[in-house]
Amino acid sequence: MSPIPPSADPAAPPRAGLLDTRHHVETPEGIDLILRPAGLLPRSLAYGIDLLIRGGLMLLMFFLLIWLGRFGMGLGLILTFLMTWWYMVLFEVLAQGRSPGKRFMGLRVVHDDGTPVGWSASLVRNLLRVVDMLPFGYTLGILSCLANPTFKRLGDLAAGTLVVYRDEEPQVPALPEAPAQRAPFSLSRDEQNAVMGFAERHASLSAARRTELASLLAEPLEVPAEQAEARLNGIARGLVDPL
Amino acid sequence: MRLTDAAVAIRPRNAWEAMDLGVLLARRHAGLLTASWALMTLPVFVLLSLLLWQQPGWAMFCFWLLKPAFDRLPLHILSRSLFGDTPRLRDALRALPGLLKPQLLASLTWRRLSLTRSFDLPVLQLEGLAGKARSQRLTVLGFGESRPASLLTVIGAHVEWALWAGLTALLFLLLPQQVKTDMDWQKLLDLAADENRWLWVEHLSNALYALLLIVWEPVYVACGFTLYLNRRTRLEAWDIELVFRRLRQRLTGVAYLLVLGGCLLLAPLPRPALADDAHSCPIPAEALQPTSKRLTHQALTSDAAHQAIEGLLGEPPFSNTQTVTRWRFGNEEEAEEAGDPAAINGFFEALRKLMLLGKHLEGLAVALKVLLWATLIGLLALLLWRYREWWFAFARRLGRPWPARTASEPPTLMFGLDVAPESLPDDVAAEVERLWPSHPREALGLLYRALLSRLLHRFQLPLKSAHTEGEVLALQRGLDDAELDAFARLLTGHWQNLAYGHRSPPDALRAQLCEGWRALERRGDTA
Repeated sequence: MSPIPPSADPAAPPRAGLLDTRHHVETPEGIDLILRPAGLLPRSLAYGIDLLIRGGLMLLMFFLLIWLGRFGMGLGLILTFLMTWWYMVLFEVLAQGRSPGKRFMGLRVVHDDGTPVGWSASLVRNLLRVVDMLPFGYTLGILSCLANPTFKRLGDLAAGTLVVYRDEEPQVPALPEAPAQRAPFSLSRDEQNAVMGFAERHASLSAARRTELASLLAEPLEVPAEQAEARLNGIARGLVDPL
Repeated sequence: MRLTDAAVAIRPRNAWEAMDLGVLLARRHAGLLTASWALMTLPVFVLLSLLLWQQPGWAMFCFWLLKPAFDRLPLHILSRSLFGDTPRLRDALRALPGLLKPQLLASLTWRRLSLTRSFDLPVLQLEGLAGKARSQRLTVLGFGESRPASLLTVIGAHVEWALWAGLTALLFLLLPQQVKTDMDWQKLLDLAADENRWLWVEHLSNALYALLLIVWEPVYVACGFTLYLNRRTRLEAWDIELVFRRLRQRLTGVAYLLVLGGCLLLAPLPRPALADDAHSCPIPAEALQPTSKRLTHQALTSDAAHQAIEGLLGEPPFSNTQTVTRWRFGNEEEAEEAGDPAAINGFFEALRKLMLLGKHLEGLAVALKVLLWATLIGLLALLLWRYREWWFAFARRLGRPWPARTASEPPTLMFGLDVAPESLPDDVAAEVERLWPSHPREALGLLYRALLSRLLHRFQLPLKSAHTEGEVLALQRGLDDAELDAFARLLTGHWQNLAYGHRSPPDALRAQLCEGWRALERRGDTA
């Protein structure tokens, strides 16, 4: 059952101001880049993982270096400095914006315009963690992350950086077997995508739902509702291998 | 529900992105959500605190227990506003009693500890399912999505903790110095032990929790809701339906009333135990008494002896307690405890040997020290060298001439013009006057060369061959000589017009320039 009774659908034109998690960046060449900023939850998890890794490494280092006397102490201090201030910076700049925690969560750091993060931006955003931690336990960072439309903490605001999801490799699911057909009407790109999506996602949809979706288009396709699904699959096939 | 009215972009997302959408949704309706949450929870919190004034811990527990009931109001607001029907604050609060009715007891008791509670709530509240239907629905929806939902609750608990600690730290930072001076950690710990006097501290800490929930809990509910929406979008292909409906509208031009049917054939799958019934903990077995009472009929019973001994041991020669408070590394303790008590001697032996090894490493330590100092000094030297120009400029500003700069060789060629004094005729002005009628270009060029040469050699202006005419003008302005400046300006302007613009200078200029030059020469000679 649907939570709210469904009703008629006078298909309104797409409205502006739709809430979305995508962030558009237009390049000077007029190309629209789509970035997907990551919010508080995956970021805090990534930070937790990094914290664990660093804690583990420091502990290990401590046990190894304690045997080296003053030499070990000096070395330990240097390594502690590097771990505290340079761990994030080095990973972000040298490993495509990904510390191990971010890599695990599928995140990366980029500049606001989507370019790879550089030394100065990375240094600024990581040095300002000290501010984000105020007064204790990242309070300011959390509040800023919740309040900003692109989920920036204060360090990100100062450095002009974004934490975004990495784009996964696009997968090409198998289409259901159907003879290729031509659509009896012209389809915009969005509509072509929807028809393709309908065919590609057939495995994750129940049979009843597939029939229901296809019957929406039975009348324009001029077929009985039962045959609409096969017809749509055929059109999708026709879009992949043009006749 | 009209998908076309949805206020969010409908698209299958990954689970984390779906939660991010929840944050955005909560942000858009932040005013309504926080206001309604505060109006609903704060009175309850105050009431609980007053009722359980002597047991702040219980007041806190009751408040915490009630959270799922409170969650229903934000969800109601969010689900209405998702399709553009944002309720007003008054209407939302008025709807509250109706929202609380279904399955309240279950929510507050055995489902309270469910980690997926924010994800499950829409099934209960919006779909109105109960019992077996509900669990089947949850199985279908939760398949593959329950891990992010659980993580949401776990992270949420940590966020609550972090915000609480932050608020507490903020309060502590705001304490005036006078209060803080006679307050240290030892005393704070004592305060915690002495419950009766400091009840208000605990109630204050509870209040901080109630306040931070105003910010966080609507976000938590919204994240669970969008996670649920995303799951349904994936399962029922809402995004495809949206486009298909628009397409049909475009093709047929008629709006149809279509029923979004009961869309899923639900396989009767077993329901996972979401929350086990709470069992009361078994009472811990009473600690065995090591010694029973003896010598009960003697003059000195074992009890009395025991007390006397304890008393003696507690007095100075035996007991000498000191309280030492100091900071130390957290790791230190672990290192001390690393050894097994049985193998502790061997451990210390190994430690001694390694310390001996450490002695040998002292040399290495010194080497490292030298290396590091050398690196530091090297870096400083590099820095000095890198910004030497800047240092020179700085030194010159302090009024000290820098010998290295003035000693540098003046150029003999500028813009391809020979500016060496030897190349100029003895009487420049006369030569200019001679050349002017026939070769104005040569005449003006000669005068300009003479000016440059004079600037270089008489006024010691540090000109370089890379300077342009304009830069030369700007540099000579630094000499602060009004007469020279006027002459140089006039000459440079006309020279540029002639050299680059091929515009001949007016005849009247000849006398003016030659006069100017002679005056300059005379002044220079007498000076």
